Amino acid sequence: MAQSKEMNISPDVIAEAVKRAMAALGQESAKGVAANNLNGTLDAQRDYPLAEKRPDLVKSASGLALKDITLDKAVSGEIGFDDVKIRPETLEYQAQIAESIHRPKIAANLRRAAEMTQIPDERLLEMYGMLRPYRCTKQELLDLANDLETKYQARICAGFVREACDVYEKRNRLKR
Amino acid sequence: MAKRQKRFEVLAERAVNEDGFIKEWIDVGLVAMDSPNDPSASIKIENGKVAEMDGKRREDFDMIDTWIADHTIDTAVAEEAMALDSLKIARMLVDINVPRAEIVRLSVGMTPAKYVDVLKKMNVVELMMAMQKLRPRRTPSNQAHVTNVKDTPALLAADAAEGAYRGFSEIETTVGVVRYAPMNALSLLVGGQVGRPGVLAQCAVEEALELTMGMRGLTHYAETVSVYGTEQVFVDGDDTPWSKAFLASAYASRGLKMRFTSGTGSEVQMGYAEGKSMLYLEIRCVMITKGAGVQGLQNGSISVVGVPGAVPSGVRAMLAENVATVLNDMEVASGNDQTFTHSPIRNTARMLMQFLPGTDFIFSGYSAVPNYDNMFAGSTHDVDDYDDMLVLQRDLQVDMSLRPVREDDVIAVRNKAARALQAVFNELRLPPITDEEVDAATYAHGTKDMGDRNIAEDLRAIDEFMQRGTTGLDVVRALAKHGFNDVAESVLNMLKGKVSGDYLHTSAIFDENFNVVAAINDLNDYEGPGTGYRLEGERWELLKDIRAAIDPEDV
Repeated sequence: MAQSKEMNISPDVIAEAVKRAMAALGQESAKGVAANNLNGTLDAQRDYPLAEKRPDLVKSASGLALKDITLDKAVSGEIGFDDVKIRPETLEYQAQIAESIHRPKIAANLRRAAEMTQIPDERLLEMYGMLRPYRCTKQELLDLANDLETKYQARICAGFVREACDVYEKRNRLKR
Repeated sequence: MAKRQKRFEVLAERAVNEDGFIKEWIDVGLVAMDSPNDPSASIKIENGKVAEMDGKRREDFDMIDTWIADHTIDTAVAEEAMALDSLKIARMLVDINVPRAEIVRLSVGMTPAKYVDVLKKMNVVELMMAMQKLRPRRTPSNQAHVTNVKDTPALLAADAAEGAYRGFSEIETTVGVVRYAPMNALSLLVGGQVGRPGVLAQCAVEEALELTMGMRGLTHYAETVSVYGTEQVFVDGDDTPWSKAFLASAYASRGLKMRFTSGTGSEVQMGYAEGKSMLYLEIRCVMITKGAGVQGLQNGSISVVGVPGAVPSGVRAMLAENVATVLNDMEVASGNDQTFTHSPIRNTARMLMQFLPGTDFIFSGYSAVPNYDNMFAGSTHDVDDYDDMLVLQRDLQVDMSLRPVREDDVIAVRNKAARALQAVFNELRLPPITDEEVDAATYAHGTKDMGDRNIAEDLRAIDEFMQRGTTGLDVVRALAKHGFNDVAESVLNMLKGKVSGDYLHTSAIFDENFNVVAAINDLNDYEGPGTGYRLEGERWELLKDIRAAIDPEDV
């Protein structure tokens, strides 16, 4: 059943990602850039809930706005299940909301999730299984990390798997 | 003792004496909140990383220590928080002049041993005060179990509808026979929206199947994602903090709300408590959850409630673990979901710990079915206790999220839910729900009033239903095609909730107009009398108007 569709990531998410990467590299010194960053960041008090306060930002995985997801269209078959799936941009916005209310852990979770939107259902379930104890050798987990990075552009998730691999090795939880 | 004293003879027959009690037994971890083997609180930060935690050097960390050190503890505030005297922190938790925001700013810098050191200084009234102040969502709410021993769908739908109608904002099912899971999920999906638009539904089964159903839009959230406080028990549970955190993100990637589950006593039950107190190990679970970025946790011992329930101060420990959860700024679904005593007095006393202060979900499974139909091994309170609960709300002016209802209204929603599901079964090629089943489900007390279905035929059809890749959108179409447009609209609106992701946030639920109510736009602002959630105005008028009350005008 799990059909993956190549999805386009919108320019503002790319811009956001670049800004974060630059900040991490310490290349961001000018205050002006920082101010821009702030303006581009959503705020819990101002923007939440998105469905109500920022419907302009919310689109489904296929690009439909919430107001265009209607019962008539569902019944006529005009919209399919991809039209009622979340897209990575929305998860990034929700991560910003979480950050603005001092919940950085939730934001990190949502950013891993944003990357995972690109992974088909069955493959994602398989990846979860591979992270269970004693399932994989070190090489298999490193290959998984590689796959995440190259095939799905899931860099945060790849780092997460490498970290797990490291801990599993130390604690003897790899496949024997 | 040849001759018995008569009062002792009577006492021996009391229900409470059928319960199991045990004296503290440190070596196996049969101790609630304070074991001599619990470590002393400490932290050392080197180069922005935790180098030592609770007396253990990084090189000696087990998997859980590593997770907490690297994912949970905020090293920017750790030294500040750890330098505060535990007694001072405990007093801050009950002090109305210290805002919630200041406490949750500091709590992310505390180690597991520090949490225990703070919480063990508090009595139950102080812990309740802390809960009242710290639970994330201002408005308390409640979750219900909806199951039955026959997995009979019309009854599940009717019970889901009645539960939602009475006021539960989340409903949870599980199975008698595992392969029934998708049909049970479907029954709650439809029945819940009939009872009260916006109610969230889940089906608790094995992790992969649970996620699959969520991905298909057959459920709205998940909860049965267990974490444990010792590495050995975690691994015996066939997971690690990394696999569980990955699973958590997988849910969010499909727009699905989720929380983890843990509880005092599980490590004792599974034989590897390392001689630590139940609360200490549970705090580790709370902190694993926090580090995973999961918005909430179901705890309060849950399915092993008999273990802390048997030791001194065990019921206090269950409240303390709930408080630890909200102290971490996470949603708490606070237990009260499994039978643990024969004594009705004890049963209700245990529940008051969460009911009086209010929590995000006071029960993480009030039985919205008779307990003989409860497949989670029975809850503390069930459908036969509804009127008692309504009276408790009225006596104490405290909100349990249940409202008085009229019999004819309940009959109507139960009937509509069963008929709506009948239509969906017809359209999705599931074995028919007969008119007799609809009628029986409408008026039933439980499965004792329901006939038997052809199980083999049901299971075959469910397998095909899953193989066809049926989704929540197919359910919308089926409902609309048979004239249940309002229900179809509600099921669709719940799918749209997954598109916007607003309900991924802390303590999120939906109201009947599909507005999300979360610990952002409904953040708890309790700062003493006159603030926070108060049962008054229209809501109080509604809750105090119970059936049994005599109207002076009629006298």
